[in-house]
This record gives sequence, structure tokens and C-alpha cells, in this order.
Amino acid sequence: MDEASPTPAGLVPTAVQRTARVIEQVEMARDTFRLRLECPELAKRILPGQFFMVREPGLTDPLLGRPFALFDVACDSQGEPVGIDFGYVVVGKLTRRMVRWKPGDPVSVCGPLGNGFPEPCDGHLVMVAGGIGQTPFLAVTREALGQRRYGDPPRTAAARPELTLCYGARSANQLAGIDSFPAEGLDLRVATDDGSHGHHGFVTDLLQDLITNESAPTMIYTCGPEPMMEAVAMLAAEHDIACRVSLETPMACGFGACFSCVTRIRLDNGQWDYRRTCVEGPVFPAEKLHWSDR
Amino acid sequence: MTRVPRLAVVLNRLQLASPILVASGTFGYAREMADFTDFSSLGAVIPKTVTARPRIGNPPPRTVETASGLLNAIGLDNDGLAVFITEHLPYLVELPTAIIANIAGHSLEEFQQMAETLDATQGLSGLELNISCPNVSGGIDFGTNPTMAGQVVERVRQATSLPVIAKLTPNVTDIVAVAQAVADAGADAVSLVNTFHGMVIDWRRRRPVLGNTTGGLSGPAIKPLALCATWKVANAVEIPVIGIGGIATIDDVMEFLVAGATAVQIGTASFYDPGLASRLVSDLQTCLRDLGLDSVGDVIGTLELPESSAAARS
Ligand SMILES: Cc1cc2nc3c(=O)[nH]c(=O)nc-3n(C[C@H](O)[C@H](O)[C@H](O)COP(=O)(O)OP(=O)(O)OC[C@H]3O[C@@H](n4cnc5c(N)ncnc54)[C@H](O)[C@@H]3O)c2cc1C
Ligand SMILES: Cc1cc2nc3c(=O)[nH]c(=O)nc-3n(C[C@H](O)[C@H](O)[C@H](O)COP(=O)(O)O)c2cc1C
Repeated sequence: MDEASPTPAGLVPTAVQRTARVIEQVEMARDTFRLRLECPELAKRILPGQFFMVREPGLTDPLLGRPFALFDVACDSQGEPVGIDFGYVVVGKLTRRMVRWKPGDPVSVCGPLGNGFPEPCDGHLVMVAGGIGQTPFLAVTREALGQRRYGDPPRTAAARPELTLCYGARSANQLAGIDSFPAEGLDLRVATDDGSHGHHGFVTDLLQDLITNESAPTMIYTCGPEPMMEAVAMLAAEHDIACRVSLETPMACGFGACFSCVTRIRLDNGQWDYRRTCVEGPVFPAEKLHWSDR
Repeated sequence: MTRVPRLAVVLNRLQLASPILVASGTFGYAREMADFTDFSSLGAVIPKTVTARPRIGNPPPRTVETASGLLNAIGLDNDGLAVFITEHLPYLVELPTAIIANIAGHSLEEFQQMAETLDATQGLSGLELNISCPNVSGGIDFGTNPTMAGQVVERVRQATSLPVIAKLTPNVTDIVAVAQAVADAGADAVSLVNTFHGMVIDWRRRRPVLGNTTGGLSGPAIKPLALCATWKVANAVEIPVIGIGGIATIDDVMEFLVAGATAVQIGTASFYDPGLASRLVSDLQTCLRDLGLDSVGDVIGTLELPESSAAARS
């Protein structure tokens, strides 16, 4: 036990386990979809950057739930949170089945889980996303713009940062949900590996550019492939910019019971220890992560 | 017919309010499950294995899903006995259920010392001895050797007056021999099974998927194997058997009870359905009532073998 645990390890104060119904499924890009599930209790509680476990009830293969980040909360005409949206890329057993899910189908969900992103800060918040790692940033953006409040009781964003999203994908046809992001109040910059849209190259080039040619941001959030996040964390460290990293470590349970989703966390004594990404993260201060040889 | 069937079970010196327990390593330290579980319905909570000193555990990936199963090599990642006693035990013993600490030692001395230390704490209902973890090297493999297994139980019995459960590995030729040895040494009950040795390979990269190369298999995939081991041991030893392995439905629970288990533990299923264990308790109540039975004892060990296969027993 040490200073890296803010709360008693594994405390999940607000999670629920429910059978939700599919409301709709929309194709966002190649092999990328958005699912909306009806689940008011979860919708009311969840914060940007938190996640939930999703599984198809009654199956033993796939067996375990899979973690997905909140994309956004869907509200009814009275503005009450009723649904949760998440975006997914088809990569394996469960996501291949998800493609066939239809409105009305039952889905097991468990959440909200994890810590989520902190409340919006003052100054300039730059979000750096790679691939499907962009999904947490819609809710972050909406909260920071004061367009929507999240959590129970709903938290109020005291600060209104200037917002930039640097979003990278392999190719234009894999850029997902660009039109979901608010056109006003967010500076959206895109990079593709093949140059088919926006900057031709890595998304980290966009961040490097921004830091060198404009003013340094106050805070960086990043989510995506680990090598990308590590590069972002290095840039942040180099320029002394606060940085939060949202890890996508594979998980078996999502709520701290199994101790499989561990990541190396730096301790104050210079050593490191394995910590559970699901309960102590998935969002970590970049300087807490022990990147090498993980 | 408004009688509520009795769920209480007796495992020698250990008396439990219900035969549904949760398995070590699959329920964290119980805090993690607080949002999902009615602890008061459970027969007992068995927290994650504690070792004498802190263990960092195995490098990730620590788990990989297999067909209807889960392969794990966590490596007994835990903060050690001292932290267990100061950080986890106070929370655990306040829960409205029995708490059975699960311990693993590197040597007979270490098992004995840990049992002595825990004997001096308040609120535990028993000890489960993990002599069966497949993912740690360095210690002596007590669970695969009947003599050694018996010695561990003997030493722990000398060190504490708490009821003692020996948790057995299925990775042996003759699990009955190990069960017999721990029974003779004074174990109050045996619990079985721990996980089966297994492996997953990412053949494209020519590499094992788990950081530890091999791991232990659990989940619905192992249920028939675990059931068979439970049945064999229950037929052979005098002490009660706690069945473990792939239990996820009320039918699974009933199968183990009929096979001769006095109680069961829910493991991997809690990962994908964290409310399951407490739901199974009410399912069991309903099932017994539908059968017109007064007590869970009325189904334990009620397996009937057809004449022709009776010779194939044990
Ligand atoms: C906190 C968090 C948030 C996340 N949010 C999102 C999100 O918003 N959107 C999203 O799309 N994803 C997200 N993910 C990732 C997502 O959970 C996974 O993509 C999902 O679990 C895949 O499930 P699956 O059953 O389709 O794939 P699986 O079948 O489980 O396979 C997963 C990956 O492992 C590989 N794999 C599986 N078995 C083997 C094997 N034997 N050997 C080698 N490789 C193997 C597969 O090829 C695949 O790449 C998140 C993860 C975390 C931890
Ligand atoms: C991730 C994981 C961790 C485990 N850790 C422990 C442990 O620390 N101590 C122990 O005695 N058994 C441990 N086990 C074994 C379980 O308690 C149980 O015996 C086994 O998983 C079979 O039951 P199941 O199929 O219901 O999961 C672990 C199992 C899993 C899947």
C-alpha cells in the first residue's frame, strides 16, 4: 500500500449490473460502429473517461465482458439521461457478434467503472486520439463546452478551457464520428497515416506542431495505441505539460476482482509496482506510468 | 408449502449459513464486489490468497480467454500477510457472512507461522490452504504429494483452532490420494478443484500469450472435469467436499451437490456476472422448494448409479 492509491483499493462506489436493450446501431467508419443501449441508471452516473463491461447474455464463448469507454450519454426529450453510446472497432470474438445486434436485443452491462477524466481545467486542453481511442473525447468536449453535465449528482464544469482534438487514423475511411464532434468551440485537427485526410503522418506530429508553433497547452489527454500514448507522454514531459493517459489494458472483470489488467506504476521511492488499470485507472497521470518494457 | 428450505450446512467444525461460497482470487477482497453482491446470502467469502510476504505477481498478460474458459497466471499478486491484516481483514470481518482466509506458504514453517498469526486475529471463520496454485514457482508443490499435503494440514492444525480446508489441485494422477491424506491429517473439509494447467499460443508470433507462458484454466470449460473429481473424492473420503470449477447456473450447483459436494464455490463466473453468487442462493431456495425438500442436505450425495455402471464406481 502506498500513496498511489487514492481510495481503498478496489472501491467501486456506484456501479450497477443490468440487462440493457439495444436502441440503435450506426456505422461510423470502416469496421467501426456506434451502439446505443438503454440503461438509465448507468447513463445517469457515468463520467467522461469511465467505461463499462459489455457482454452477450447466455453465451459462454465469448465468456467474459469486454470493456468499452463512454462515447456519450443519450438523453430523452426532458433531458433525462436514458442511454449510453459507445463506439467499437471489429477486432475479435465479441465485436464480430456485436455487428449483428438489433434494436431490442438484450445486452449485459456493468458500470460505470474506472476513474474517468478529471473535471475540465482552465487554459488550453489538447486531446490526442489514435483510432478508436477518440471515443472518450466527445463527452470530455461536451462537458468542457458546458453542453452537457455528467455524473450523479451532475458535476458542473467550473472552467471553460480552449479545446483542441488531434485525431489520427490509418486512413480517411477509418475516421469515425468526426461529425459527432461539435463544430463550434472545438479545434479539430486530423492526421492519417496514408495522407487520405488531413495531415499526412502521425497524430503526434500535430501535437509537436501545436507545441512548437503555437502556445503550449495547459493539459493534454490522450487515448489510443500505447506507442502513440507513450510518444505523447514524452512530448508532454519534455515541455513540462500536465498529461493524462487513458489505458486500454485488456481486462477480465473490469471492477478489480481478478488482478489481470495490471500496469506498471511508478512509486515515490523510485520503484514500480503493478496496479489494476480498471480501478486505479484507466486514466493515469502520465508521469505515474512506467512505460519501458511493459 | 410455505416452508423455507434450510440452506445451512456443516463441514465438521465449520458451520455455514448457505452452501454457496465464493472462490479465492475471483472475488478480490470483497470490496470490489460490494455494489453487486448481497454478502449476507453467501455461505462464506474467501478472499484472494495471501502470502507471508508481498508478491508482485506475474508479468502481463495475466489472463486470456479460451473457448468457454479463462486461462490465468496472476501469480498470487498480493501485499502480504501484514497488509492483509491491517487493510483488508477489518473490512472483511464486518461483512454479514463468514470469512475464510486463503493462505499459501513456501514451506511448512511458513504455513504454520501464517496460521498462528491469523489465529491471533478476530473474526475469521476458517482457513483455506492453497496448496494448489499452478502459477508460482519457488515454493514446494505441496498439493501434488499426498505426504506433503498431509504435513501442511497437520502443522496448520497445530497452529490454530480455526477450521481448516485444504484446497486441492486437479493436476495430479490421483486426487483421491491427496484428499485422503489431508483428511487423515485432520482437515475439516477439502475444496476442489483449483485450475488445470493450460496454455495459449499466438502462433503467428510464435509466442505464448500469457506473460508466465502457462497458466491455469477455469470457467465452464472445466466443469465436467471438476464434477468428476468432486464425485470421486466425495465417494472416497469421510470429510465434506466443497466443489469448485465452472459453476455458473443453478443446474451446475445441483449437479455438484448431487455428486456429493456439501458446498460449492463460485469462481470465474463472478467476473462476468458479479451478482451471480447471491442470485444462486435464492435460485437454490426456489429449486429445493419446487422439489418439496426441507433442507439442502436432502440432495447432497444423492447420485444414483444404474446397476450396470455401479462396478465402474471410484
Ligand atoms: C478501459 C477500456 C476502454 C475501451 N474502450 C474501447 C472503445 O471505446 N471502443 C473499442 O472499440 N474498444 C475499446 N476498448 C478495447 C476493447 O475492449 C477490445 O477491443 C475488445 O475487448 C475486443 O473484444 P473482442 O471479443 O471483439 O476481441 P477478442 O476476441 O477478445 O480479441 C481482442 C484482441 O486480442 C487478439 N487476440 C485474441 N485472442 C488471441 C490469441 N489467442 N492470440 C493472439 N491474439 C489474440 C485479437 O486479435 C484482438 O486484437 C477498450 C478497452 C479498455 C480496457
Ligand atoms: C483469475 C483467477 C485467480 C485465481 N486466484 C486464486 C487464488 O489466489 N487462490 C486460490 O486458491 N485459487 C485461485 N483461483 C482458482 C479459483 O479459486 C477456482 O478454484 C478455479 O478458478 C476454478 O473455479 P471456476 O471455474 O469457477 O473459476 C483463481 C482463479 C482465477 C480464474
